[in-house]
Amino acid sequence: MIMGMLLLAACSEPPSDDNRDVYRHSEDEAPASLDPAQASTVYSNMVVVNVFDTLYRYKYLARPYELAPNLAAGFPDVSDDGLTYTFRIRSGVEFTDDPAFPDGTGREVTAHDLVYSIQRHFDPGVRSQGAWLWSGRIVGLDEWGQNGADYAAPIEGLKALDDHTLQIQLTAPYPQLVYTLAAGFSALVPKEAVEFYGREFSVKPVGSGPFKLTSFNSALATFDRNPKFDRGVLNLADEGYRDDLHGTYGLQALDGQAYPFVDGLEIHFIDENASRWNSFISGEVHNVMVPNEQIDRVLTSKDPIELNDDMAERFHKHSGIEAGFVYGGFNMADERFGHHPDPDQDAANRALRCAIRDAFDWQARNETFYFGLGNVFPGVIVPLVPEFDADLSRRSVQHNLQSANQALDEYGWRDQLPSMSYGMPSSVQQRQMFEQFRAQVQEIGFSTDQFSPESFATFGDFSRAIKNRELDLFFLGWSLDYPDAQNTLQLFYGPNETPGSNNFNYNNPAFDALYEQTLTLQPGQQRTALYRQMNQLVIDDCVVISGLSRTRVHLWDKQVRMLPDREILGGFFMRFVDIGNESETAAMSN
Amino acid sequence: MELLSYVIRKLIGGIPLILGVTLISFVLMVYFGPDKTFELLSKNPTEAEIAQVRAQLGYDRPFLVRYAEYLKEMATLDFGFSDSTGERVSSILSRTIPVSLALLAPGFVLGNLLGIVLGLVAAWYRGGWVDKLIMGGAVVGMSISFLVVIVAFQALFGVVLGWFPVRGWNVHDLPSYAYYVTVPTLASVFVALGYNTRFFRAVLVEEINRDHVRTARAFGARPAEILFRNVLMNAMIPIVTRILFSIPLIVVSGSLLIESYFGIPGIGKVTFDAITSGDQPILKAVVGLTAVLFVLILIVTDILYRVVDPRVSLTGDAR
Repeated sequence: MIMGMLLLAACSEPPSDDNRDVYRHSEDEAPASLDPAQASTVYSNMVVVNVFDTLYRYKYLARPYELAPNLAAGFPDVSDDGLTYTFRIRSGVEFTDDPAFPDGTGREVTAHDLVYSIQRHFDPGVRSQGAWLWSGRIVGLDEWGQNGADYAAPIEGLKALDDHTLQIQLTAPYPQLVYTLAAGFSALVPKEAVEFYGREFSVKPVGSGPFKLTSFNSALATFDRNPKFDRGVLNLADEGYRDDLHGTYGLQALDGQAYPFVDGLEIHFIDENASRWNSFISGEVHNVMVPNEQIDRVLTSKDPIELNDDMAERFHKHSGIEAGFVYGGFNMADERFGHHPDPDQDAANRALRCAIRDAFDWQARNETFYFGLGNVFPGVIVPLVPEFDADLSRRSVQHNLQSANQALDEYGWRDQLPSMSYGMPSSVQQRQMFEQFRAQVQEIGFSTDQFSPESFATFGDFSRAIKNRELDLFFLGWSLDYPDAQNTLQLFYGPNETPGSNNFNYNNPAFDALYEQTLTLQPGQQRTALYRQMNQLVIDDCVVISGLSRTRVHLWDKQVRMLPDREILGGFFMRFVDIGNESETAAMSN
Repeated sequence: MELLSYVIRKLIGGIPLILGVTLISFVLMVYFGPDKTFELLSKNPTEAEIAQVRAQLGYDRPFLVRYAEYLKEMATLDFGFSDSTGERVSSILSRTIPVSLALLAPGFVLGNLLGIVLGLVAAWYRGGWVDKLIMGGAVVGMSISFLVVIVAFQALFGVVLGWFPVRGWNVHDLPSYAYYVTVPTLASVFVALGYNTRFFRAVLVEEINRDHVRTARAFGARPAEILFRNVLMNAMIPIVTRILFSIPLIVVSGSLLIESYFGIPGIGKVTFDAITSGDQPILKAVVGLTAVLFVLILIVTDILYRVVDPRVSLTGDAR
């Protein structure tokens, strides 16, 4: 009897219909919160952009990434001074039915919902992780939060002109504004649901996106297609379809059809690589991002990336570099090796940082930890943004012991190298990376105990140590919030010093002046040139050891017609996924 | 009446234990556990935002105030909301504990029953080839990493044979329960059996050498009768102790690997995530309820001692 009761309590909802087309997606981590205000991770966004609507989204197939209207009925009207944006949103869009609404029926989505959704980020009670996107940018918004976040109080720069028109008034031109409205942070939430569920809104999201969440736990999120979702048909040409790149994925059959195509969606959160891989091979999930330890088993060639015959016969493959990078950074606030008021010592410190950078071997890092698939590039403008300079000198990413030793000798560092701390989250791989780094700097004279490892139990503790300036050197990764080099260059802007995003505490007036100049510039040659100047300053000052963009290799079942993507704000592609039948799959394989 | 007064006495006696456990664990959480602040902040936080989040997490309040709140939460069984997900802690517990129990119960029962049977057989044939075979198998089970067993079983039953799923927990009736619980159960029995068999054999061998067993043999009692009536029943106290005291550990921590690798949303994975992320509301609930569970098991264990051995007195009087 006890077992029976246990079983009853442990039961999940029975499947409603075995014949439904359900796309089963795997991810390597579970999201913590599904509230758009806290959608700071790829994993959160994977759910958020499928349950909620954003004004804009990224085109399905176009690369570099391009925006497309989603809930918006087109791109905004922008005033001549670039300060006033007027957005029109689609009419007739409704939130999914939910007990939070009177009678349980979802009402129409209006511009007031967007105002409310952005306001929430500035409400101190919400614990927003996305307020920085609009902080100081929208007239009166910061003050509204500081004055008690009274939702009845109007905000000069953020108002709904009518149910379908939103006006944003900026404090200064902000060319990235439209990008921010494609971020999961900007997703529209209904006030009724936020108030009805309170803090549990973070696990019981209600939106107007293509899918409705039906269950969520640390292992699985399940969704049903939102029957109210109607965005017309998929236009492959508009989405950036190219026959040479996408022709083998079977997407042509979907052109001109209304989406979403599947009846349901499952996102399986599988932390362990072995389990995720076995689930994929056994057909329990439709896709996998190939774990490092399977790379040699799956590929016959790394350049170009080619699957072995068995894998190629069974699965589709797509590879591409991440929208982000990994890098090492110095704490420039430390006068022993960072900024120094004495120009001579400042120059010597710069030489020391450059020597450490030159001693670092990116190729070895790439081969050892990224199976040689990473894309090593100079500077901090990552290859995936349009401002990337493919012709930039690679001098800063070359392992050059001669140059390193020469710099140390020239500035008298020999025999008086400082002791430095190297921070990392606690993990075997991080420790291995540290040991590799330590072996490399030993080649320029650092003794074994001069670089001391400091490991932290959680990423939060590691982050706290960086923000408190306790670490001399740290290696981190950065994922782009939008495809604009400004997103990585802001990491070096002086006023953003810790606890802000400038973890390096880099403070260069020349850089800051350029950065401020670019803040109001629209995309174009002039802005790109300034971005590249800033990039060069960061390289010349040896603030970072940078960088490497990792390559993702995605595999998926040939039965599934899609192109998976988790970069920037992964998840938008799921509305375009289709499950083909077996005869179609066989035809595609042939 | 004797039983009731005993239970009440023990429950009152358990209060200092619960206070001690919660105090020590709370000290560890507060002073040595992860700081959640920076996981909840944006990429570009201000000092004011840091202070705000710390205040929301209660980090800025004195330790004793926070501990008093913890005790109040224990008394009311209201632990608030998870700092990570925002879900109510009581909802998390009521959702995950039944899953863990349903997941682990078959393995727990089978592991112990088979362990006792194999222990009895090995003890009866002590020194012979049967004993060596069983003990050899036990050593093999103990020597192989649980992780290796899990991955190998997943590959064998899920990928190669395709009989069972590699992972998941889509349980809605008895057949689906059997479908999803079989491989995790086989994996846990495979590993637990080695430890259990060795322990039970040691206990039973000691009992089998006693005079009353020799006397029973001299009277010509059948081996099965001797093993069950004379050996097993007289060895029940250490067996009951081991089985009952393993329950809290199995529920809270023993299921971690299984739940992680089989993608089962139970309390073990939730607890592990709470420990590694510093989610104090969940940790406080798990630690506090585990302490209460230990107290209850102490009581049940004493009562069972009385059941299996009438010489044991619940009042402490010698018989």
